[in-house]
This record gives sequence, structure tokens and C-alpha cells, in this order.
Amino acid sequence: MSTSVVPPLPKQGFGNWLKKHFFSTWLNSVFTVIFGAVLIWMCIKLSNWAILDAIWSVDNKEHCGHGAGACWAVIQDRGRLIMFGLYPYEEQWRSTLACLIVILTIGLSCLPSFWSIKKLPALWVIGFGTFVLLMRGGFAGLPLVTSEQWGGLSLTIFIFSAVFVLGMPLAVVFALARRSSLPVIAKGTGLFIDLVRSLPLLTILFAAAVVVPLLVPDWLEGNKLGRVVVAFAVFFAVYQAEIIRAGLQSTSQGQEEAAAALGMPYWSLVVDILLPQAFRNTLPSTINQAVITFKETSIVTIIGFFEVMASGNAAIGGGEWTEQFVEVYVFLALVYFVFVFGLSRYGAWLENRMRVGHA
Amino acid sequence: MLDNAISVKSVNKYYGAHHALKGINLDVPQGQTLVVCGPSGSGKSTLIRTMNGLESIASGQLEVLGLDIADDARNLEAVRKKVGMVFQNFNLFPHLTILENCVLPQIRSVGRDRAAATVEAMDQLKKMHVDIHAEKYPDQLSGGQKQRVALARALCLKPEVMLFDEPTSALDPEMISEVLDVMQELAKENMTIVCVTHEMGFAQAVADSVLLMADGEIVEQGTPDQMFNNPQHAVTRQFMDVVKK
Repeated sequence: MSTSVVPPLPKQGFGNWLKKHFFSTWLNSVFTVIFGAVLIWMCIKLSNWAILDAIWSVDNKEHCGHGAGACWAVIQDRGRLIMFGLYPYEEQWRSTLACLIVILTIGLSCLPSFWSIKKLPALWVIGFGTFVLLMRGGFAGLPLVTSEQWGGLSLTIFIFSAVFVLGMPLAVVFALARRSSLPVIAKGTGLFIDLVRSLPLLTILFAAAVVVPLLVPDWLEGNKLGRVVVAFAVFFAVYQAEIIRAGLQSTSQGQEEAAAALGMPYWSLVVDILLPQAFRNTLPSTINQAVITFKETSIVTIIGFFEVMASGNAAIGGGEWTEQFVEVYVFLALVYFVFVFGLSRYGAWLENRMRVGHA
Repeated sequence: MLDNAISVKSVNKYYGAHHALKGINLDVPQGQTLVVCGPSGSGKSTLIRTMNGLESIASGQLEVLGLDIADDARNLEAVRKKVGMVFQNFNLFPHLTILENCVLPQIRSVGRDRAAATVEAMDQLKKMHVDIHAEKYPDQLSGGQKQRVALARALCLKPEVMLFDEPTSALDPEMISEVLDVMQELAKENMTIVCVTHEMGFAQAVADSVLLMADGEIVEQGTPDQMFNNPQHAVTRQFMDVVKK
């Protein structure tokens, strides 16, 4: 007679879970108690500072600093400066709307159902077109606001997404060119990539903002923000090109042979077969590159653009709020965190979805 | 009507200093099945891969379906649409469903519309008994199923010639017959077939001609009966003794 062997069931319940993870040995128990106490103490301190003892309204400004908690009044008073920079006060609704439109554009481009060669460019032309028209104005009774006055969070988001949208196709072109069977193109692209990579971003942006106008004829000059975005996009593209190239190399030779044997044209091999696999294979590095680029946008402050970080500095630089730098930096950190955390959660979602086999 | 689907004349091929194909002459009549065998490194895969231009040749003439593909890139493009190929490692597109694997090439290479391509794809998948897997991804299938999908994908383009490059070498033993069965059916339907394989049972059952290569040369060619039971060359005899075991 045979009896079926049943594997022992793991013990259920919160008590058992707690015991397994936190009190399994006496040493673990000691650490649990010590760190638990420290954690609780920190939480109390933090919530006292950030919430309970905090001063929220500009009307209570005189209490700030005298043993009170966080002085969030600075955000109420200077929030608009941080969000919009030097953008004219009465027109800031345009900046808000433009910002929401770009965020919506980014959100939609993240959905796999929008990933087609027709939908994505259309979406971007409409999204960015509306952004620029709204921000710039100069028609239908909207006062003209030149890009020198753009600033704050909307400028940060604009620079980031414009760099990404221009840089990504450029990266694909660089990656394919570097794999070209024509040595001139392959070597030339390789040299260009190495050249750009060996220059600091700061130098490139500075050259785009200051040196280029001295060298090219007026009609080619464009505006400063445009030049900076293009230069930034090229910088992004050379790094992203190497990521994509790694992805292309990780697809097997057999994929190209199968497509060739089936009589599929080269563009179809690239667009339908190689690139989707290359992007899927390099998704973690691509998200990483996007996060780095988002944070690097703060460097444009050096050539006179007031993106969100520089606007934050301006908010505390005015004399009135100089002591509230911690509050402003915490606020800025939260803004960055929302975007970067959003990006990495999106990356994780995408990876998971692709592992299941869709997309 | 053409007599020869494939005609190879004094074809040479080098990999660096290695002489991979040494003046190969070979005709494959239309509707016939040719099995190519030989020890590894003998050039049999190289030979079959020249027939749809996956390998270029150094010299010689190469005509497939009456078109010279040795020097003319446009002819090569036309030939690839009429010559299907099945690989040892399946080479399915892993990011596409089984159905899309079969639909996309039809749209891209012969410009069929999606609806017609889908009907054709389902039809071919059904013939290969893998239609129930249409919505799955290649990773979810067994080797034998993958190879039958690869065959269906090639057949969707209505090829006049099918090339098989060791189609069963990467399969577990119990899956070999399911692939060979569908290949046999194809051979009976008078498809022109060139197949590199060591499955001598298959060769015996359907081949019109068996060819043995060694060191980049054709050692001997004949009917299966001749090759198995009355080989003329010592090399053939030796090889047949090994594979029969």
C-alpha cells in the first residue's frame, strides 16, 4: 500500500510571519527591537516636523524658525516661482495646461497600444506642438512669451521629453549606422559617438548656447532653447545608441537569416524584428538612461535657463525665505522623486508585461 | 516548364583560406526531393544556404527557378519569395505570436493584406496541426511544435522550393517524427525539396536522390537504394555504416 506524501504546509498567519522574519533567533529579536525603536522615533520626529508642528500659511510666517516644524509657507509663497520660473504671473495657467498636455503625451506614449510608426510621431507632433504654441503664445490674444522666460517644472519636463523624443530616433539611427556594412559609415559613426561621449555635457550645452551663434549664419541660429535641446538630444543619443547596439547584438543571427529567407525587406527586418527585440532586451538600461537624463536637465541652469532646480534656488535666494532652504529642497526632492519613481515603476511594469510574452 | 528548379555549376566558396565548396555541380529537377548528407564540416549546410543567397559564392553559376542569383541582387529578392527555408534552430520571431509569425512575412514580403494573410496563416497552421497554438508565443511551444510553425510560416508564402537545413537536429527524439511526417506529406505533394539531414529513414521513404558531401565536394549521388545498399565510394560506405547504427 502506498501513502501519498503531502509536503508540509507553511505555517500561516501574521504571528508566524512575524516570528519567521523578525524573531527567528534571539539576536534577530534584539535587532528588531533596537531598529524598531529607532524607526518609530524617527517617524515621530519626522511627522512632528513635517506635519504636526509645521507652519502652512504665509499668515503665520512670523512663527517660522522659532522651534516650530517645517515652514511650508515658503512653498505657498514661492511655489509658483518654483513651478513656473520667470513665466509671467497672469499667463501661468498656460504653463500649467501645457505641462499637463506634455505629461498626458508622455503617459499615452507609454502605452503599448500607441507604439506604431504612425501613432507615436502623430501624438508627439500634436502634444509638443500644442505645448510650444501655448507656452509661446503670440496669437489669438495670447501675449507672446519667449522661451527665455519659460521656467520651472514645465521647462524641466519640456527639456526632458523633447530630448527623449528627438534623441531616441537619433539613437536608433546611430546604432544602425554603427552596424552598417559600409566601413565609412560604421567607422564614422563610431568616431562621432566616441567624440561626443568624451566631452562633458556642460561643454556641449555651453557650446550650443554660446559658441554656435558665433559660427553659423543668423538664419541657421534658431533660438537658444532649441539649440540646447538639440545638443542635449545628441548627447543622449550617443549613449542610448550604445544601449540599442547592445540590444541588437543580443538578437541572434538566425533572426536576420529567417527574415531574409522569408523575403522580408531590410526596413522590415529592422522595424518589425530587430528593434522590438533590442528594446525589450535593454529595457532596464534604457529606463536608467531616461532617469539620468531627467536629473541632468538641471544642468541647463548654467546657461541661463530657470528649470525647476534653479527656480527653487531663486525662491530661497530672495532674502525673505533664506532660512527655509531645507523645506524647498525637500519639496524639490519630492518633485524629482515622483517623476523618477514613476519612470522606474513603469519600467518594471513593462518588463513584467514582456516577460509574460505580450507587447 | 523548367526541368531544373535549382542548377549549380562549378560553384566555389571560401571562408578565409578554407575552401568550403569546391567546384560543386548539381541539378535538382522540379518536384523532386534531394537529401544531402555528410559528416559535419563537409559543406552541406553551406551548399543549401547558397541556394537562397544566405551565403554568397566566390565563383560559378547558380540558377534557382530559372533566375541567376549569383550576381543579381534583384533576382535574389524574387527568388527568396519563392524559396522557403526551415532552419535547425527554428528562428521564429520570439516577440510575435505564432499567428503573427506567419502573418507578418506575408504582409511585408508579398504585400498581402492582413485579412487574407490571416486566413492563409490559419490554414497552414491547421495543416501543421498547430492552429490551436496560434495565440501563443514561441517560448510556450515544444521544439517539434516550433519547427512545424516554422514550416507553416514558410509555406504561407506559397514557395515552389523548400530548403531544410537539418530540421530535426535540435529536436528531442520523440519529436522528430512529428516533423518528418509533415515533411513527407509535402514531398508527396510534388514540392521541390532540398533537405540536409541525417534521418536516413526519411531519405529512404521520400528522397528521389541522395547526395553525400565530404570536404566541400560531392562524393557520390544516387537513388536512396543505390546509396544505402550499393555505395561506390569508400567514404560513402563508411558514412552509411555510421548513420545506419
